[in-house]
Amino acid sequence: MRRGHFLLALLLLAAVGSALWLLLRPSTAHPVARISLDGTLVEEIDLEAVEAPRSFSLEGVGGLTNTIQVEPGRIRVSEAACPDQICVHQGWISDRTAPIVCLPNRLIIEITGGGEALDAAAG
Amino acid sequence: MGGRKALAALTALCLLLPGCARKPAQAQATVFAMDTVMTLTLHGEKETALQETLNGLTETIHQLEGTLSATREDSEIFALNRDGQAELSSCAAQLLEEALALCEETGGALDITAYPALEVWGFPSGEYRVPSGEELEALAAGIDYTQVAIARPSAGSPASARLRGGGKVDLGAVAKGFLGDTLAAQLEQAGVTSALLDLGQSSIQAVGAKPDGSPWRIGIRDPAGEGYLAVVELTGRAMGTSGGYQRFFEEDGQTYWHILDPDTAAPARSGLASVTVIAPSGLVCDGLSTALFVMGLEEGTAFWRAHRDFEAVFLTEDGEIIITSGLKESFSLAQGYEGTGVTVLE
Repeated sequence: MRRGHFLLALLLLAAVGSALWLLLRPSTAHPVARISLDGTLVEEIDLEAVEAPRSFSLEGVGGLTNTIQVEPGRIRVSEAACPDQICVHQGWISDRTAPIVCLPNRLIIEITGGGEALDAAAG
Repeated sequence: MGGRKALAALTALCLLLPGCARKPAQAQATVFAMDTVMTLTLHGEKETALQETLNGLTETIHQLEGTLSATREDSEIFALNRDGQAELSSCAAQLLEEALALCEETGGALDITAYPALEVWGFPSGEYRVPSGEELEALAAGIDYTQVAIARPSAGSPASARLRGGGKVDLGAVAKGFLGDTLAAQLEQAGVTSALLDLGQSSIQAVGAKPDGSPWRIGIRDPAGEGYLAVVELTGRAMGTSGGYQRFFEEDGQTYWHILDPDTAAPARSGLASVTVIAPSGLVCDGLSTALFVMGLEEGTAFWRAHRDFEAVFLTEDGEIIITSGLKESFSLAQGYEGTGVTVLE
């Protein structure tokens, strides 16, 4: 076998290999919570990498604060300085079905990746 | 000539594989409007075309919000409430007409003139207060959708609305659904055949099916807990949910929610925790879910039997699930709720 052939065969193998990997790779990436304020991403948390529960506060454009709680695999707003408390009432989310939204603070917590999820939710 | 053959094979492979693995295009936008956050997802072939269509949808959303909001001082509805009359753009006239027809069809269980009562309860502002019995009586007497009249002097000239009495119009219960209908029509015109419009919390509009042809899977929230209690498969239809848990406040151990009974001007307590309506029109879904929530299960069931042009999921405060017969195939209980009993209305 000539050297060129060998290289070509190697290249072919690499191409087939990477193509197969692209086609067959598992689509279940880790669920990652993306927290944004007024459209700007402020924090990304890999929910599978969370080992111990923790919480932190974020101040939004309106000057209001949201306390966000993270546990392995899930996230919620535990306290909010807004009158309607819709974000708090929504409770924990663990997949990408529906984001948590605090409208007065323009806060959105959405999950990307993760396993199977519904396309949307009503209610 | 092995080398050349291999090269040819390699080239062919490189050309073919991306074709097989090609990801269809998708465009998505998150829009803050109408007191909520909307997520629009469009599927198709060309991303640039989808993005252009998406920009058009966003424009429509802001335009409609500016026309229909009860709180924005430059809106047509604000002018109607302030002056007792207003000229209407064609879309506002259409929405108002369709909403009034729904008020009539539901015998006033849906009433778009309850805004003064909502204001006294503090739902628009967040400054909550429980009104006295006398106050409620006076407020209830003022809720009457027949106070609103639409006039079209002649074909081609703009319509106008008049408002008698002390009522104020609030289209909050139907505006998002109407928006869904408008956006779906806009998508159809643009040739987009697969899109999911999540118009915030309670209103979903599905255009066609998913790109692979399967229906969209939409969760219905568990009113008593977190997460989703059931899944509805949706193709080319709208879905709207009304529930007491969506917006409420607590005082002295009592819960007061934002869906008011037009007869009492107080939160509607009918024994239902939420109602979901599935129909071709988003406006019908939104308006009817509110009306059926106010009516309660018994009256709501009778209403469905008399109409049968929509499907519904009733969740009672006792944890019962009642669905209409047209949902037998597309309704399923979510993980963790498999044991729950479901009653099918025939």
